[in-house]
Formats: sequence, structure tokens, C-alpha cells
Amino acid sequence: MSMPKGFKSAHGYATTKEYDGGADYRTIANQMTNRGYKMNHATARNVFLSALRKIAKPVHDMHKKNDSYDSLQRTAKDPRFQSGIAEILASIKFRG
Amino acid sequence: MAKNLQDFFDAVGKTNLLTREEEIELSKKIEAGDLRARDRMIRANIRLAISIAKNYANKGVDLEDLIQESSLGLIKAVDRFDWRKGFKFSTYACWWIRQSVRQHVAAQSGSIKLPSYARGTLWKMKSISEEYHKEFGVEPSHQEIADLLGTSPETLRSLMKCAATPVQIDGGAYKSSDGNRSMHEVLVDDRAISVEESIDKEKLIKAVRGVLSELSPREETVLRLRFGITEDLEEENLNVNA
Repeated sequence: MSMPKGFKSAHGYATTKEYDGGADYRTIANQMTNRGYKMNHATARNVFLSALRKIAKPVHDMHKKNDSYDSLQRTAKDPRFQSGIAEILASIKFRG
Repeated sequence: MAKNLQDFFDAVGKTNLLTREEEIELSKKIEAGDLRARDRMIRANIRLAISIAKNYANKGVDLEDLIQESSLGLIKAVDRFDWRKGFKFSTYACWWIRQSVRQHVAAQSGSIKLPSYARGTLWKMKSISEEYHKEFGVEPSHQEIADLLGTSPETLRSLMKCAATPVQIDGGAYKSSDGNRSMHEVLVDDRAISVEESIDKEKLIKAVRGVLSELSPREETVLRLRFGITEDLEEENLNVNA
């Protein structure tokens, strides 16, 4: 049986398996709701990508890349970018 | 050069060389067990031993030791020389002297001691390589040398690795005394991040740090949870609830 043709990500998809102790969107949504930020899993994903787009912006500027929404969204979804940011975040304090 | 060694050279230089007839006559006496004849044969040829030893003087072994080893090779040659074959003694002796000196050099130089068959293979490899270069004008490949020696290229590679001369990491990087930089200062670390990369990373971290302060607490917490960075979460929680 042939499979439907669709989008094939060039670098795969980011999963929580890559980050030790990382949570999936449903778990994040539950924890955020418990902390007073009511949200479902889709919102958790949107918030996550929104934060990554903000981080991607200066990176795009640094490398003189197009900083349109689509371009930033592509970078935000890239598992290589996410893993690089995770590494940087682990080494610095958020509000240091 | 040490004074004693110079005295030795002076003494040896005064010894007369043997004619072909004298060599045969002495050899006959040696066969008959004449120790004086043996001693004279050795003394008369010590110049040859010194001359061969000097060829190996820059191999990391003392010249005195080399002369001693070459003299032992000479003694072996004197004991084994067969005058009936019709060769000059020096033609025969130089093989024994060379073998003795080479064995000593191979055993003493380098911190990794190789068995004699391995050293022999390395010598053969070197001479085959030189002959090949003379004949074809190019260096032979490991495969070609291995085929000629009847061994595998892997064995040759590991032998060459073992025979490589180790250098002191704290030792001087240059032979001349002009530079005072040590080896560890000039060695390239392939794993080290280049200055450009390091500057880029610094810039990136600075940029990311700048953006982090602009993130809302909601975004920041989601990022932390997603990446499994739980530091200060309790504190954050308190801030949110407050």
C-alpha cells in the first residue's frame, strides 16, 4: 500500500527525547495550567515556537538572513536550532 | 668530543693497516687458536669499525656506544672470517659491523622497544623503498611494499607507528636555540574551537541572552519545560502565583 505524499522535513522533527528531562506539549500544558497559565497542548506548542522565533530573530540578523515570519518559523522548528538553543540555555541563566 | 675518545682515535690512527697476505696469514693463525693474531687482526681493523659507527652518529645514540657495538661486530667478523673464500676481510667485516650497530641503534633509540624481526622488517622496508624510488622515481605505496615483503599493509602501518620517534611535549619546538617555544605551544589542537567560532558563539550567546530578557514569563517557562531546564522553576512559580 502506497503512503500519501506529503511534506518531508529536511532535518527531521525535534522531539523531547533529545533533551534530558524535556516534556511533551501535553505535559507542558498541564504543568502550565497548574502554575496559573491556562493552556492546552496546541497553545503550549505555539508559545514555544513563538519564544524560539524571538530568539531566532537576532540570529538571523547576525547572519544577515531574511527575518520574515516564515523564515523565522522554519528556523524555530529546525531541530538543529532547537538543540543549539537548548545547549546555550543550559549554560546561561535566563534572567541573568 | 671527549678527550679520551680523541686519544683513542689518535692511538687507532697509528696502527698500520694489513696487506692481503698479512690478513690471510693472520686468519690461518686465528684458526689455529692464536689469540695474539686475533688481537692484531681486531686492532688493525678498528678504523673500519669506527668509520661505520660514525655513519650512525646522528641516530640518538652516543658515539662511544656505537664504537663499542661496532667493535663487537668486528670481533664477530674476525671469528667467522674464512680466508679461503678469497674476499678481503673488510668486505666481509663491514656486514657484521653494520648489523651490530644497527641492532644497537634500533634497540636504544625510541622509547618503544621493538622485537628484532620487527626492526628487521623496518630496515627491509626502508631499503626497498629507497630502491623503488631509485628505479621508478616515485615512493612505493604501503600495499606495494607489503607485497614485496610478503606482509600486510596493516602490519607495516602499525610497525611504522611504533617506530616513530616520540617527542617531548615540554621540549623545545625548534632545533636551534633561537626559539624558546615548547612543543605544546606550537601543536595544533584539532578539537579546539577556532577564535572566529569562539567570537561567533560569544556573539550568539550575547544575542540570545538579550532576547531572553524580552521573553514573557509564560514563554520562558514553556521553553524551560520543553528543554528540561528546571533550574529556578520553583522560584518562577512563586513569582507567577504572587
